[in-house]
Amino acid sequence: MSELQLSDVRKSYGNFEVIKGVDLDIRTGEFVVFVGPSGCGKSTLLRMIAGLEEITSGDLLIDGERMNDVDPSKRGIAMVFQSYALYPHMTVRENMGFALRFAGVPKAEIDSRVGEAANILELGPLLDRKPKQLSGGQRQRVAIGRAIVRHPKIFLFDEPLSNLDAELRVHMRIEIARLHKKLATTIIYVTHDQVEAMTLADKIVVMRGGVVEQVGSPLDLYDDPANLFVAGFIGSPKMNFLKGIVEMGAGGDKHVRLPDFGNATLPVTARDAAPGSAVTIGIRPEHFGDNGSAHLALTIDMLEHLGGETFAYARHGNGELIVIETKNGRSLKSGDSIAARFDSTVALVFDADGRRLR
Amino acid sequence: MNNGSARIAGAIVTYGFVGLMAFLSIFPFVWMLLGATNSSIDIIKGKMLPGSALATNISTFFTQVNAPLVFWNSAKIAILATALTLAVSSLAGYGFEMFRSRRRDRIYSALLLTMMIPFAALMIPLFIMMGKVGLINTHLAVVLPSIGSAFVVFYFRQCTKAFPSELRDAAKVDGLKEWQIFLYIYVPVMRSTYAAAFIIVFMTAWNNYLWPLIVLQSNETKTITLVISSLASAYYPDYGVVMVGTILATLPTLAVFFFMQRQFVQGMLGSVK
Repeated sequence: MSELQLSDVRKSYGNFEVIKGVDLDIRTGEFVVFVGPSGCGKSTLLRMIAGLEEITSGDLLIDGERMNDVDPSKRGIAMVFQSYALYPHMTVRENMGFALRFAGVPKAEIDSRVGEAANILELGPLLDRKPKQLSGGQRQRVAIGRAIVRHPKIFLFDEPLSNLDAELRVHMRIEIARLHKKLATTIIYVTHDQVEAMTLADKIVVMRGGVVEQVGSPLDLYDDPANLFVAGFIGSPKMNFLKGIVEMGAGGDKHVRLPDFGNATLPVTARDAAPGSAVTIGIRPEHFGDNGSAHLALTIDMLEHLGGETFAYARHGNGELIVIETKNGRSLKSGDSIAARFDSTVALVFDADGRRLR
Repeated sequence: MNNGSARIAGAIVTYGFVGLMAFLSIFPFVWMLLGATNSSIDIIKGKMLPGSALATNISTFFTQVNAPLVFWNSAKIAILATALTLAVSSLAGYGFEMFRSRRRDRIYSALLLTMMIPFAALMIPLFIMMGKVGLINTHLAVVLPSIGSAFVVFYFRQCTKAFPSELRDAAKVDGLKEWQIFLYIYVPVMRSTYAAAFIIVFMTAWNNYLWPLIVLQSNETKTITLVISSLASAYYPDYGVVMVGTILATLPTLAVFFFMQRQFVQGMLGSVK
């Protein structure tokens, strides 16, 4: 049985619908990441689960119990906010024990739980400090500690690493992953950073415009996106998209002609690709190489050497930039003409509406 | 005129102006202090040096005025008005900022518009109202009209904009009701705003003159400002005694400002850190 269930959940502000019917099952112990561009509704959905936003219609079930109208504190959830939301007038200890004090938990029990969480997060020496005396990373750990002491069924994280610098973000990401392993609790995590989503999640929920575009494991979404949006959103640098037209060859084989790339052709295996229809071909930067059945004649515009690998930004004529990832890019230079080869079976085909053709 | 001369001339004008403003600000205080040490005749003659009548003036003041009673009356009114104004106006400011409704901005605009109505236009209706509920010649009649201050509501609403909404969300997840969020989170977090508002409201209440003059009619209910005024409007006013009274009346507001100036500055700059 799933721990959290959303059935046709909707949210409207007046006539404006921001969450347009979300169905989702989350199992106990799963690390689920809501990801999507700004304004896609991921934080609103999280706040609806937390009880901070009313649900206009649909059902939210936690452990099979309808929670739509239940007070946030009685849903068995704890939330970690983007700005940490630590009470500035309280010490770390008071912040962490505040919810328990209000719930009428005996003082000895509060002290024990705060001590336990402080041990897990190595907050012991900081317990008597005020939030303003802590660094960003320490504040984030206190915010997580405040959630842990409540022993929630579900942790909700709302972009918790956005306010940290790059190095600390990586460190905290590892800490959160470790914590999930240790506590084995369900976590729902909101981020717009798809690297965070890929590295942390058991299951990613990709959202756009209040709609769930696709749900799946990180690598499933990466390898097998359901549409153009998911294909473009998951992966960094993002997938290359090439406009093409499906044609039938003389021998009855189907191929895609790419007018923007000197009418290069590549065979397609997608059965649903109808001859004469406009399609978009998606190729990941790392799928280009020295071998392959298809190739594009490109001129390198710019290079990014990252040490271990190189990103070459190339184009055909004045066409769109294509990103190519290569391990052997040190000898390349701007202006070089290259034949970017790839295996046509790894290319994904999308129809004019962005739906994946298989 | 070369650049150097222009700069010197500019500096002279600037410092001259600043000096004049400083003089205009400080002179009344200096005059008050010097006046308290001189006799009425010397003050009228314009003597601007310390005199020897301080002890006489103090003695006369305490003979003519029931000082403990009038200071108690002023303190009672100022403290009660300040406490109630802060409680009511901060709740209103919090409510206006936190709760969305279609009518919110209209009601808020109407509230702000009340600041445009001069107090002179309200005096007669207020007096009739107080008369009807039997509050004339009571301190409550002075306190009640001041507690719903549009300006203080405006001040609290503006300051509440800086109150992080995530603190309220966190408190809700922690199980607090709205009134508990206000009491246990908002009030402590906004204490600098309260301090700044306290100074403003306390000074206004302490120095209030016109409305108490109208509603307080017996000597037992009068405040220090009314008593000083009556000393100054006697047939032969003793200005030395008036100055002593003025100094004594200034001391509480100076003390409040002195003890709370750090919070006052913080509150004015935005209290949430």
